Parts: sequence; C-alpha cells; structure tokens
Amino acid sequence: MTLEARIRLRLGTLDLDVAFDVAGGEVVAVLGPNGAGKTTVLRALAGLVPLDAGHVRLDGRTVEDAAAAIREPAEQRAVGVVFQDYLLFPHLSARDNVAFGLRARGLAKPAARRRAEEWLARVHLGGAAGAKPSALSGGQAQRVALARALATDPALLLLDEPLSALDVEARLSIRRELRVHLDAFDGPCVLVTHDPLEAVTLADRLVILEAGRVTQSGSIREVTSRPRSPWVARLVGLNLYRGRAHGHTVALDTGGALTTAAAAMGEVFLVVHPHAVALHRSRPEGSARNVWCGPVESAEANGDRVHVRVGGPIPVVAEVTPAGAADLRLAAGGDVWVSVKATEVDPYPA
Amino acid sequence: MSGIAGRASRPRRRGASALPLALTGLAVAAVALLVLPLVGLFLRTPWSRLAALLAEDRVHQALRLSLVSSLAALALCTVLGVPLAWVLARRQFPGKRLLRALCLLPMVLPPVVGGVALLVAFGRRGFVGQPVEQLTGITLPFTTAGVVLAEAFVALPFLVVTVEAGLRAMDRRYEDAAATLGASRATTFRRVTLPLIGPSLAAGMALCWARALGEFGATITFAGNRAGRTQTMPLAVYLELERDLGVALLLSLVLLFASVAVLVTVRAGSFTSP
Repeated sequence: MTLEARIRLRLGTLDLDVAFDVAGGEVVAVLGPNGAGKTTVLRALAGLVPLDAGHVRLDGRTVEDAAAAIREPAEQRAVGVVFQDYLLFPHLSARDNVAFGLRARGLAKPAARRRAEEWLARVHLGGAAGAKPSALSGGQAQRVALARALATDPALLLLDEPLSALDVEARLSIRRELRVHLDAFDGPCVLVTHDPLEAVTLADRLVILEAGRVTQSGSIREVTSRPRSPWVARLVGLNLYRGRAHGHTVALDTGGALTTAAAAMGEVFLVVHPHAVALHRSRPEGSARNVWCGPVESAEANGDRVHVRVGGPIPVVAEVTPAGAADLRLAAGGDVWVSVKATEVDPYPA
Repeated sequence: MSGIAGRASRPRRRGASALPLALTGLAVAAVALLVLPLVGLFLRTPWSRLAALLAEDRVHQALRLSLVSSLAALALCTVLGVPLAWVLARRQFPGKRLLRALCLLPMVLPPVVGGVALLVAFGRRGFVGQPVEQLTGITLPFTTAGVVLAEAFVALPFLVVTVEAGLRAMDRRYEDAAATLGASRATTFRRVTLPLIGPSLAAGMALCWARALGEFGATITFAGNRAGRTQTMPLAVYLELERDLGVALLLSLVLLFASVAVLVTVRAGSFTSP
C-alpha cells in the first residue's frame, strides 16, 4: 500500500506545488510554518479540494488525475481523516460518531454499533461509548476521532495537527498512545503539523513545506542535521549559511567567507552548531581558522546555556555557559570576537 | 490646574446623569406601550364565561380551522423553505441577491397587497389559478386550501431567513468530515447538516407558525371570511368584536398564549444553538 501525491493547486493566495510518496506502514509528517498550505495538502488528498494539476494514486490506483479528468469525490475514497479540532458530530454519541462511517458504507445499525464499541475499547474508551462529544475531554475526543477515522478501514490515514488542541499534560500520554495506533496501521499515513516535536516523535520521515513548496524532505536525522532552509535551521537550532565552495573556502551568498576542513565545490549549505561557536572579548590567539568580529544583538537563557546572537558580516548564534556569558560582560554591549574551527563547519551540496 | 479641571468636569458629569434618566423614562414609556394593551386584555377577559365560551361552536370552528391551516402552512413552508434556504446559503449563481430580496419581500409587504397578488395569480381567473382549476378542478380562493396558501405566502420568508442564517453559521467542515467517512450528500444533509442546524430550524418553524397563525390581511383578501372554511381565529376575533366582545377577547387570549409559547421556543433555540 503506497501513496503517490503530486499536488498543484491555487487557493486564495496559496500556490501549492508539492510531490511526495508514502510507503505502506510509513508515517510522513508534513512540517511547516502556519500558512504554508499543510491543511490544504490533506484536504487535497482527502478529495475535499480539487487539484489544478497533478495526481493522487493509492496502491497504484488513480483516485485523482487532473489531466485525465479523473476525480473520486471524498466519499468514495477510502481515506480516514482526523481533523484538527476533531469535528466530532456534536449531536451523536461517541459510539454513533465511530459508527457513522460504517453506517454510511451500508452496515446495519446494530453491527455498526458493535464494531464502533470494539474500536472504542481499542482506544481505551469502552466506558464512554454513550457520551456526547461535549462531555469528553480533549484527549478522549482525540481518541474518538482516531477510532472514527480507523473504523472504516481506510487505505490512507490523514491527521491534521492531531495533538495541537490538547493541553500539555494530555499531549504526552496521547502522543505515546497515538504512536502505538500509527504503528499498527499498515497503510500510508500523512500527518501535518507545525510542531517539530510532534513531527519527530510520531513520524518516520519529514516533508518540510514552506509557502506551498517542499523545501526539504528526508529522514528525521537528515533533516535535523542538514537543514536546507532557514526555517528548519532555526527550528533545530543550527546556524545555516549558503554559499559557493572552492576547495576549503566557501564564499557566502550574504558576504564574507568561511573555511571548511572538508573540501567541496559549487553551491553548498554550511551548518555550524551553536556550541561550536566560541566568543571572546578580544581577538583570540588560538588556531581557529574562522575568526571575525560582530555586535552582540541579544542573549537569552535556554536551560543551563545562554544563546548569544551576534550580528555583523556573518550573523551567528553561539551557545555559551552562564559563566562564559559573565566573562564576556555582554551587558556592556559592543563587539565580540567569534571563532569557529574549520572542522566544525560542515558543508553539503545545496 | 485642578480648579479648571474640576469646573470642566462638573457640567459633563451632570449631563451624564441627566441622559440616563431621560433614556430610562422613555424606556419606561416604551414598556407601557407594549404591556398596557396586554394588561387590558387580561382585565377585560370574561373569566367566568370561559368554560361556556370555549364550548361554543363558532369558537371551536375558528380554533380548529386555525390550527389545521397554520400547521398545514407550516408543513408546506418547511418542505419548500429548507431547500430554498439551502440554495440561498450554499449555491452561487447570478441574480442570487435579487432572488433573495424577492423571496423575503412578503416579510415587509402589506399582507393585503399579498392577498390581492394571490388573487390575481391563483384566483379563478388568475394566470395560474385558471389552468390549475381546468386541469385539476381545484379552486383556491375562498377555500381552506386558499387559507393555507395565503398563510404560507406571508410566513415562508421567516423560515427561510432563519434557516439560511443557521446554514451560514454552521461549521461546514462537519460536512467534510461526513464526506470523508463515506457519507453521500443526501446522507450528510440528513444526518449531519439538519441536526446541526436543528435550533435554527426549530426557531424558523416557530416564527413561521406564529406568522401563519396570526395571518389576517392576505387571508381575508384571498380566502374570504366564511365560518368553518376560511374564518381563522384572527378573522373571527375581528368579526366577534361587533357581535360578542367576550368571544373576541377569549380568542385573542388563545392567540396571545400561542405567541408566548413561540417566543419561548425561539429563545430556547437561540440559547442552545451550537
């Protein structure tokens, strides 16, 4: 069971053009800032928004193809959706919410209710079958929504910000539980979220969506260690630069140059981990190959470390200890010296 | 400095206290205008003759006819009005604004004008009434069917406006959710849309029924005033004012209670709407 999605559509100011595949049993997180078009991707896959171009194939079967004028409406696609605020039907009990899809597919009422109760038991809500959605907690509503989506035995599972409506405490336990159900689901699963923690804990692979375009996709390790957009770099807390490499020197697009230990040629990204950036009050004497000077823009405590943002020709965030920050007399303002070893500047092709 | 500020603020404060007083006085006058007639109705009702009056044939007839015709009008309005509200709320087509204005016109049209319009359209020589009578033998004016038609004409917009507002206010993503669960459009409408707009539908039906029950101008113009056939309660009230004030008061009281019940329904509906 696989999903093959090539989605192009315009909706208001959104211009969406994305392509990705999801294998059976795989969970892919579409991660991006608000307004990137994440929810529209899900709605297109579910058949709730038509494509302008492209196609959606499920297990090799074409459910939509703009060029061939093929378009299965949402009610004919075997797609389970967990909506952002769950959208449980407020006038139906938890049991009837879960039974809704089964009834719509022609199952008789008693049989549908029996199956619904089995599903509710599976998400540990056997006792709340008769409760109306308004009487359920956020976590319970999330589980009913999941049971409702899975009860119809969908070929594709879609989740829109599955945990964002929950409070922090419920989020942890529901996340663990959700992971179990996602592992048990053998079809392709796509979840969209703006929360990196939700993405990395629930998904096997990431697709980064920014302003309607995929800026990066790959395993969580690839994306977090080698970001390809400033948004991802900020998300994972890395300094990201782009430039043109010639041997061990990279001329940055924004001006200035950095020296790398590894040789490279052509367009490259460079990442520098904040803990590899050293700051000094006066010009350092050591062996670091990259040394420059810039004004301190901000400093904020982050756990037991201080993140110091330095402006100037090559903006950089450095992670220092509180003691180190004290030695730098940051409050005094002015310029600081930055040094980064060439071995800590990691180039990879852009 | 403080002296100037004090002098400047004093007149303002006096103005501020005089205004609420004037407004309150006018509000009291408004309440008197609305409530005093109802008090009069209660004071003059011949409570001692109540039982005897209720047993009178012409009271019975008017009650029964009003109930039957207003409920029939309500059924007609619901069957026709909910689809119309859906079209106005959900479909996009040229001339929609004009169509909505036309559909809502009877709300502001003098009912007598409505009655005249019905007469020239659905009367025995009207451009619709004549062929209908030739084809089916059904005559509308001066029949109970005519009463139902007149009541539906004036009451339908109330249902349409209320249900349309409910459809617009509804979160349409519930319909999307139903579609992804495999529900056809018809199933979605029946099992999701209708229950979700339930409070609006109830309020619309209540308003519609109240308007139909109280209809006077269009009914008397189009259907006439024949006891047992077209003489509904409002018509009987008007007639009995000349003959027996007690009957007029009693029927008025019944209509008043019906109105209060409708008001309660509408308020309850608006408080529980999602």
